[in-house]
Amino acid sequence: MSTAPETQTAAKRGAEPDLAVAVEGLHKHFGLSDRAVKAVDGVDLRIRRGEIVALLGPNGAGKTTTLDILMGLTDPSSGSVAVFGDKPGKAARAGVISGVLQTGGLLSDLTVRETVEVIASLHGADALGRVPEVLARTDLEKIARRRIAKCSGGEQQRVKFALALVADPDILVLDEPTAGMDVTARRHFWNVMRADADAGRTIIFATHYLEEAEQFARRTVVMNHGVIVADAPTAQLRANLGGRTIAATLPATGGDALMQQLQETDGIVDLHVDARRVTLRAADSDAAASALLNAGAHDLEIAAPTLETAFTALTED
Amino acid sequence: MTMSISPTMLRVEATRQIRNPYTLAFTLGMPVAMYLLFGAGMGYGGITAGHGNVKFYIMVSMAAYGAAVAMSSITSLAATEAKQGWGRQLAMTPLSTAGYAATKLVTAVSFAALAVLIVFLAGLLTGAEASDAWRWWASAGIMLGLGMIFGLYGLGVGLFFNSDTAAALASISMTFFAFFGNVFMPLDGVMLDIARFTPLYGYVALSRWPLTDGVLTTGQTDPLWVVVLNVVVWLLVFAALVSLGVKRSRSRR
Repeated sequence: MSTAPETQTAAKRGAEPDLAVAVEGLHKHFGLSDRAVKAVDGVDLRIRRGEIVALLGPNGAGKTTTLDILMGLTDPSSGSVAVFGDKPGKAARAGVISGVLQTGGLLSDLTVRETVEVIASLHGADALGRVPEVLARTDLEKIARRRIAKCSGGEQQRVKFALALVADPDILVLDEPTAGMDVTARRHFWNVMRADADAGRTIIFATHYLEEAEQFARRTVVMNHGVIVADAPTAQLRANLGGRTIAATLPATGGDALMQQLQETDGIVDLHVDARRVTLRAADSDAAASALLNAGAHDLEIAAPTLETAFTALTED
Repeated sequence: MTMSISPTMLRVEATRQIRNPYTLAFTLGMPVAMYLLFGAGMGYGGITAGHGNVKFYIMVSMAAYGAAVAMSSITSLAATEAKQGWGRQLAMTPLSTAGYAATKLVTAVSFAALAVLIVFLAGLLTGAEASDAWRWWASAGIMLGLGMIFGLYGLGVGLFFNSDTAAALASISMTFFAFFGNVFMPLDGVMLDIARFTPLYGYVALSRWPLTDGVLTTGQTDPLWVVVLNVVVWLLVFAALVSLGVKRSRSRR
């Protein structure tokens, strides 16, 4: 590498001390030449300190690979990655970035406390002193003496969360952190996270639960086939999809005429009828609703666009 | 970056081994039980053998077996753990590969020393004798030092096989090697000829050297180069196994 890009990086670092993550032209291929799997195929991503970012995408979209690279667990095939200006591996060892791994394993014959203590001790005396507090925050005190083998999936997930917190990282990476948790555990988990986010920690999480992205992340990055297909504030992502979804039952008479009228209206898309129930998406939902009601349609429902529709639209082939 | 060992990690590693029923049975229990059964409990135990008695001969054999099993089982566990998700957890900490290896090595050597200590104490209490005190220390030193070869063996097995089978395979194969390696019982004839090619033969023969000077129970004498060659060849084989295992586990990733 020549010196030019290095100087550039240094300049950037100086100019943007708040840049937590800077990813440029990231590629990761597994396997050789022809049959190589392009897990990550050109990703650019910049995340500022204190941001909460959801990484959304179907299985195989490249989320886990991207996060593994951020934590220094996998080397990129090409492209540059900087975590507060440092290489990911160095940042991870310094406890600047830490995370809950999707495939991260625990030793089944250790107790919960031993597991957290071992990882904490490796990060130093400060981290070791933080163990009681972290066990309390992750609600593990009561089961601290339990063997990992006897913990439920959700409890093990909380142990992994404790392992990530004990380093007191500036950036917390969560790869499907609530997988295997029941609804109560998930709610508790996100309450703890919210407190963390308010404290100014940068949080990047991958999830399958769309409502987690909607409720928790101000910014959502959608990945598919190894590339970013959308990167926007979560609210905007929803709004950009345009239109609310309207459903209503057609009147006994005049249904065909009504359908004709709706079809000719600008801004109405995805018009479907199934067993006299009409569904559509309208840019001007008020106008569409009053047209339906005036024509005698009943049981009207209006729904805001969900991220799910955004997600489906963005990741459809 | 300094290669540091975490005292917490060492403590937890020791606790784990003590809690592990396989470690207790194979490493700490079996050697001393075998000594008491075939050494202290038998009438021939007091008969003179080399620079000591038969009890000393059997004590050294069993202790050497215990040390080798301790080394191989702990390193096989270390390899399977590192291969799995736990290795990824550790990769996000300042612990280097060298630090991890050092922690496991300290644990393995400690347990090997514990296994030797238990058998030697049993020997001391039941009348194992050598003409000089240094022969005890020399035997213990040789078996603990050379025992690290079986640490390599365990590492290789751990890298090649999955976690559930690796530790058991390492321990059980060591028992098998011990039967056919002139360790548990004195062999003769063709069996002895075969034994000379097995991995525990040279190691145990060298551990007994301070007592026997190479004289076998059959009255034959092994030249030093034969047992040293056995150790060197198996060291190379195990090193090759480890290097193949590393390649294999990398390509799977």
